[in-house]
Amino acid sequence: MSDELWTPDLTVDLAPNNPRELRLANPVIAASGCFGYGQEYAGVIDVERLGAFVSKGITPEPRGGNSMPRIKETPAGMLNAIGLQNPGIRGFIRKYPKLWARMSVPAIVNISAETVDDYAMMAALLDEQPAIAGIEINVSCPNIARGGYCFGWDPEMSADVTRAVGAATTLPLIVKLSPGAVDVVAVAEAVEAAGADAISLINTLVGMTIDVHRRRPTLGNVTGGLSGPAIRPIAVRMVYQVAAAVRVPVIGMGGIMALDDLLEFVMAGASAIQVGTGIFVDPGLPIRLIDELTEWMTRHGVRRLDEIVGAAQPAAARQFRFAGVETAGDSA
Amino acid sequence: MSQRQLGGDLTVAGTSAPVRSREFVGEVVGIEPIMGDAAVLSVDVPMTVVHGLRSGRFFEITCRDEVAFDPLLRRPYSVYRIDAERGRLLFLVRPFGRGSAWLSRRRPGDRLALLGPLGNTYDIGPTSQNVLLIAGGVGVAPMVMLADEAIGRGLNVTFLMGATTVPGLLPATELPDRVEYVVATDDGSKGYHGFVTDLAADYVRWADQIFACGPESMYLELRTAIGPHRIGRRPTVQVSMEREMACGLGACLGCVVETRHGMVASCIQGPVFDLDEIIW
Repeated sequence: MSDELWTPDLTVDLAPNNPRELRLANPVIAASGCFGYGQEYAGVIDVERLGAFVSKGITPEPRGGNSMPRIKETPAGMLNAIGLQNPGIRGFIRKYPKLWARMSVPAIVNISAETVDDYAMMAALLDEQPAIAGIEINVSCPNIARGGYCFGWDPEMSADVTRAVGAATTLPLIVKLSPGAVDVVAVAEAVEAAGADAISLINTLVGMTIDVHRRRPTLGNVTGGLSGPAIRPIAVRMVYQVAAAVRVPVIGMGGIMALDDLLEFVMAGASAIQVGTGIFVDPGLPIRLIDELTEWMTRHGVRRLDEIVGAAQPAAARQFRFAGVETAGDSA
Repeated sequence: MSQRQLGGDLTVAGTSAPVRSREFVGEVVGIEPIMGDAAVLSVDVPMTVVHGLRSGRFFEITCRDEVAFDPLLRRPYSVYRIDAERGRLLFLVRPFGRGSAWLSRRRPGDRLALLGPLGNTYDIGPTSQNVLLIAGGVGVAPMVMLADEAIGRGLNVTFLMGATTVPGLLPATELPDRVEYVVATDDGSKGYHGFVTDLAADYVRWADQIFACGPESMYLELRTAIGPHRIGRRPTVQVSMEREMACGLGACLGCVVETRHGMVASCIQGPVFDLDEIIW
């Protein structure tokens, strides 16, 4: 009945196969590296309204980060080479879990390491902490044991990390894929088989600019990660490919700046999205996305977000994974 | 005072109280040429933004049309002057890159998206009587606001200003009458022929504090010029560091300055630093 009162259901469980669940009130997540440790934006936006936030990347030991310059604006995007400046896993544990315990928004810890053992060590330490809703594994790091080849570019190496972390904790695990992988779908399938509860993508793309006055690379680190609207079509394509190949929830990200961008990722197959660079530009963006999504779903008669997840996938893929998806076009 | 910093552990250091920042919309009410190709941009903002605002703090301004994403990042602008009664912020704008060129084309009635106030402040000590202000080029902006504050407190203010040529100099009429204003030009077309930092040495023994804003090269020149005349770390020198920024809130760590306390975010623990705390 059209006069029936209802409000759309924006909730999502990002770890349906994990008894600990990762239940979010809405699908909008603040991305790692763009939201500090959940405290920095507290005076500017209502952090509690977010679906979740992901901490800055934490490493086994404290890191001072890269030399300057660390960021460079590019056409409709930016390069960053912060170099994982962070207080290390122990410094992190001393300070943040107790701050997070006072918040109700799910807080996810992003971890990076250069050996499989270090990933597992960090996961074991986090497992004992309160107020941590899940772990996001950043596999876009060099693997010391394999000559510095990036974990995330190789399905087996990514799976090794996922298995080791899964053995060390029962926390929900999200694996954040690198777009530099030769075959991102193969990596997604490998980490799913290795026990990932969800998959997030994409991390930044490696790029660089040159300062023509100095005749040198602009960034202190020479190369950096490209993010922002400039990379969005690549991200949507990868989400579309990965979502058709795995059954675990997919979290899409890459240059989301407006509701239509969010919807693109959802219709490509993402059950939730992350906002990163967009927060730098427009701190109010994630909250506005939640409000606009609610309004959009109400106006389009979409009661649960599931109804449109993967809506743009071909029929075969929807049957494989998105059983609930029916679009107006299908019934015609 | 400041605490030892490890990477990412962003306890606010220094003497400035943390500030409550927020996003808001301002309306351009004027843009007046002032020196060379630079203009003073006047923006009406909510009264609460201006209330208690001090020199050194800055705002991040979105410098593009609402529907565009390029240039993507906001631009940090320190405050040139405030009009507390009207709830007005004045910024010094000069077309330099794409963002500043866009901002320089604003006209009365245009609306601007701002985030702030951000950062820390210049701090005039409670016992200071004589203060030396040194400005290089458009770095003059926060120095003018600081001069207003110092004169308001009844202090003796000497203001040294350096520019490449005459059009780059701040007109003397922009400063309170009681300020001693001394200028230098690189080409000698007005005032002292050479770097403004050469003039600073004469004031070192007089000044209780030195405040500066300009390019980093100016700070290095300043350190060399005043070094032989200082007694230990006296007088203290506060400088504002310019960095390309993204978030402005200490989240991205893109704008760090290497100090004796580690890599600290210039957007929240700066932009004002003690010259002697910075590792050059």
